[in-house]
Parts: sequence; C-alpha cells; structure tokens
Amino acid sequence: MLPLVECRNVGKEFRYASGATSLREWFIRTFSGRKVGRAAPTFRLTGFDLSVGRGSTVAIIGANGSGKSTVLRLIAGIYAPSEGEIRTRGRIGAVVELGMGLHPELTGRENIHLYGTILGMGRSEIRARFSEIVEFAEIGDFIHVPIKYYSSGMLSRLAFSIAMASEPDILLLDEALAVGDQAFRERCTARIAERLNGGAAAIIVSHDLDAVRKHASEVIWLEAGRIRMRGEADEVVDAYLATVAGAPPIVDPRGDPQAPDRQREHFAGT
Amino acid sequence: MATRDDVRVITPRSRGRISDVWRFRDLYRSLVARDLAVKYHSSVLGFVWTLLNPLLMLAVLTAVFTHVIKVPIEHYWAFLLSGYFVWNCAQQCLSSATYVLHQHASLRRSAAFPSEILLLSAATAKHVEFAIEIGLTLVVLVIFHHHGVPGSLLVLPVLLALQFILVVGLMSPIAVLSVLFRDVQHALPLLILALFYASPVFYSADLVPESVRGLYMLNPFAGLLSLYHAVLFEGRFPPAGQLGWVAVLSLSICGAGYVIFRRYKSLCVEVA
Repeated sequence: MLPLVECRNVGKEFRYASGATSLREWFIRTFSGRKVGRAAPTFRLTGFDLSVGRGSTVAIIGANGSGKSTVLRLIAGIYAPSEGEIRTRGRIGAVVELGMGLHPELTGRENIHLYGTILGMGRSEIRARFSEIVEFAEIGDFIHVPIKYYSSGMLSRLAFSIAMASEPDILLLDEALAVGDQAFRERCTARIAERLNGGAAAIIVSHDLDAVRKHASEVIWLEAGRIRMRGEADEVVDAYLATVAGAPPIVDPRGDPQAPDRQREHFAGT
Repeated sequence: MATRDDVRVITPRSRGRISDVWRFRDLYRSLVARDLAVKYHSSVLGFVWTLLNPLLMLAVLTAVFTHVIKVPIEHYWAFLLSGYFVWNCAQQCLSSATYVLHQHASLRRSAAFPSEILLLSAATAKHVEFAIEIGLTLVVLVIFHHHGVPGSLLVLPVLLALQFILVVGLMSPIAVLSVLFRDVQHALPLLILALFYASPVFYSADLVPESVRGLYMLNPFAGLLSLYHAVLFEGRFPPAGQLGWVAVLSLSICGAGYVIFRRYKSLCVEVA
C-alpha cells in the first residue's frame, strides 16, 4: 500500500536576520556582496527521509531546536522545503502550535467555524459536526464566550477537537497532548487510536518519552537538523536517554542559535 | 474541500496551486465575516464610525473647495460624494496590505492555506463596507441630485469589479514587500498622500491641463475615479475607450502584482 507521507531527502534552511531588514541593507548586500552587520545565524535541516503508512505512528524526538517542529510544518505544507520532495495523500490535520489559528476576540462558536475552514472543512461539514466538537472539547456554555476568557486547557481541548473533527488522514501533533488534564489526554489518545485504526497515519513530536515508547512504531531522533538515529521505539529512546543522561549534551539548548521558533517569535514581535 | 485521495507533492519549486484559493473559499468567507465581526463586536455605534470619518472629510472638503478655494464644478458636494468613498476604500485597502500578513502570521504558521486568501478577504471586507457606503451615496444622489434614476448606474457593477481588481493588484506587492522590508510601512503613507493629490478626488480630471493629461491618466485611479464621476455624478455612460483603458490598466497591475506576490509569499510565512 502507498504510504500517506513520504519525505525524500528533504532539507530546509532558515536564515535569521538580526532585526528587520532595511532596504539599505538589502541593496548593499545584493549589489556589493558585502556583509552588513552581524552574520545571520542559520538553521539547517538536511537529508530528512520518512515514509509513514496507514495505521502507523512515527515519533520525532530530540533536543529543543533540533528541527522537530520544522519537519511537521514542512509536511503540513506550511513551509516550503529548500530541497527534496514531500508527498502526502489525504487530508492533513495539524495541531502544530496549540491555540494558534484561534482568534481571541471571537467566541468559541465563531472560532470553530474559522479554524474548521482553515483546516479545510466545508461549512456544511462544520455545521454537521458542531455539537460533536463542543461535546468532545467539554466547553459547554463557554461556547458563546470570546475565547480570550478561556483557560489554556479549554483552548487546547477546543483546538484538538476541531482538528479531529476534520477526520484527517494524516495527523501531525506537536506536543499537543501535553496541555490537557489526564482525563482529556486519555480521551485524545483513544480518539487518535480510532483514527489510526481507520487507516490514518500519525507523526508526533514529543518530549514525553514514555508515550513515545507506547505509541510509536518508529522513532526518529533529530539532532541539529540531522537524523542521528532511527528505528524501533525502545532502541532509539534508550540511546537518546543515554546521551541526555551522560556527558554534556552535544546540542546546548540554551546558547543555541538554532532555536528556530523562539527566534521567529521574537522577530514577529518587533 | 480536501478530497480523501488528494495527492500533494511539495518541492522547493512548488508555489501552491491557484485552484487552492478556490478550495479554501469557505475559509475566505469566514475570514471576511471575522474581519467585520471583530471590527463591530465591541462598538455600540458600529457602522456609524465607519461612515463618520469620510462624512467629516466630505464636509471639510466641500466647505474648503466651495468657499475658500473655488473649484469650478457645479453641485460640488455631489461631485465629491461620487468619488470620495472610492478613494477612501482604496486607501484603506492599501494601508491594510502593510500589516495583513503580519497580523495573520500565527494563523499562517498553524495550517497550510494559500496566503492569497488573507489578501482577498481583507480587501473584500473593506469592499463590503464600501458597497454599503456606495448604496447610501446612490440613494442620496438619486433623491437630491438626479431627481430620478439614471441608466448609467447599470455600469456600476463593472466599476466595482475593476476597482477590486486594481486594489488587490496593488495590495499584493505591498503585502509581501512590507514583510520583507519595514521601509514600506514608512513609505506608503507618503505615497498614498501623493496619490490623493494626483487623483481626481476633490477636483475633476477635466481640470488637468491637456498637455499632461496622457501622463496623468497613467495613474490608474485617475481613470477609475473619472468613470465613477461620469456614472454617479453626471449620470452618463462613460466612453468605451476610457472604460477599456481602466480595464487594461487594472488587469495588468493585478497580473504583475500577483507575480511578485507568488514569488515571495512562502518566504513571508517564515519571516512574518
């Protein structure tokens, strides 16, 4: 059977400009080839291969800034790769950044319509699944309240419920289950399992290594944008834990210029 | 909607399919609804605010140009009314282009959908307001200026369509360039101000000297506003040549703008 997700030799390079680019800098850089200001730090993901078939779960582990979320965004089609090829079959349901895509000023109901359409659902489809979404998210009467008054747990439940209601063939989950309480987590796991039995595929990014051991059929360990190791869940997780517990980690998460998400947040805020 | 067996191949060269814009039409609709909802959610007077600003400007401009500087146009208030909302809408759309991609950066990074949708929905929300304004204008002009319904109003939908195409065409490069270069945000208000004086908003294009009229008509708003003046103020069918010229200009600007937009839109997702 054809795999639902295939990545062939995928690479992605980010450059982080120091602050906003000005036209002056751009002109100087373009026409004289001279470097202006500090050299921009870069992050590079290289040689990423992946193939996920129906019903299987692949987990990606690694230190902060190793490129895990970048991989999910590439597969989701949010970023364009710098090299290689990504092939996906079916509808993608991504919970890449929790609560993202929801609008604080709008009510839960309005957000269900907005986020549902972002995920590619039709209006009639959303209407048909509306009560199911509200029920699963356990939002209750808060559905008529602007979501800026929601707790983070409610937000994550809402986002996850909408994503699952779109009945995705490919599930991309980034630490999605880390926010909810134990009861909700269990219901999420059951829901995901249900989708997988129905022929979907899942790619999860997680620091919860016990969950990874339990659910993943394959684990990929990323380090500084490269695949350090891949294989059976237990084998890879054990090897990963051994390096984390042992001598200083190879990638220092703090002084690391390669923490793409934090850098970009900062960028967006300026 | 995404069909079940939708195969998608992404390579460094892929820029997204144009058909995706149609596929996400429901998102477009909910974004337009959201833009309008957010704007009027917590304001009591709502649409009155949207009208108040241009009405105030109309009053000031009418007072200045009929009593202080006398513009040789009869029924000046009606003339001003027939073009001012067009300018107002265009100007707001162009300024919104500088922040529309920033504003939705988190949205764009949470799911894959064509960025074109953001631009189109922002422009559409503004044009919905414009449609209401122009509707009110029509009522006022029909009752107090024409004392009847001129047949030229039939051309109005065409003008609206051309306006939308032109405005989106100008918004596209502004949107991507303002993400890549902050300078655009500083430069644009100046350009808009210059464009205001270089467009027949408070004067008519006939008052521009013949010798520079050709050059003057290169400004797409010069042609567009003249068409509105003919249709709404004078109540006559515009010359086909002029209509054709504005159509050609708007479509080419839209085409060129979109090429730039497509070239840089994926980079903007990462940077914005």
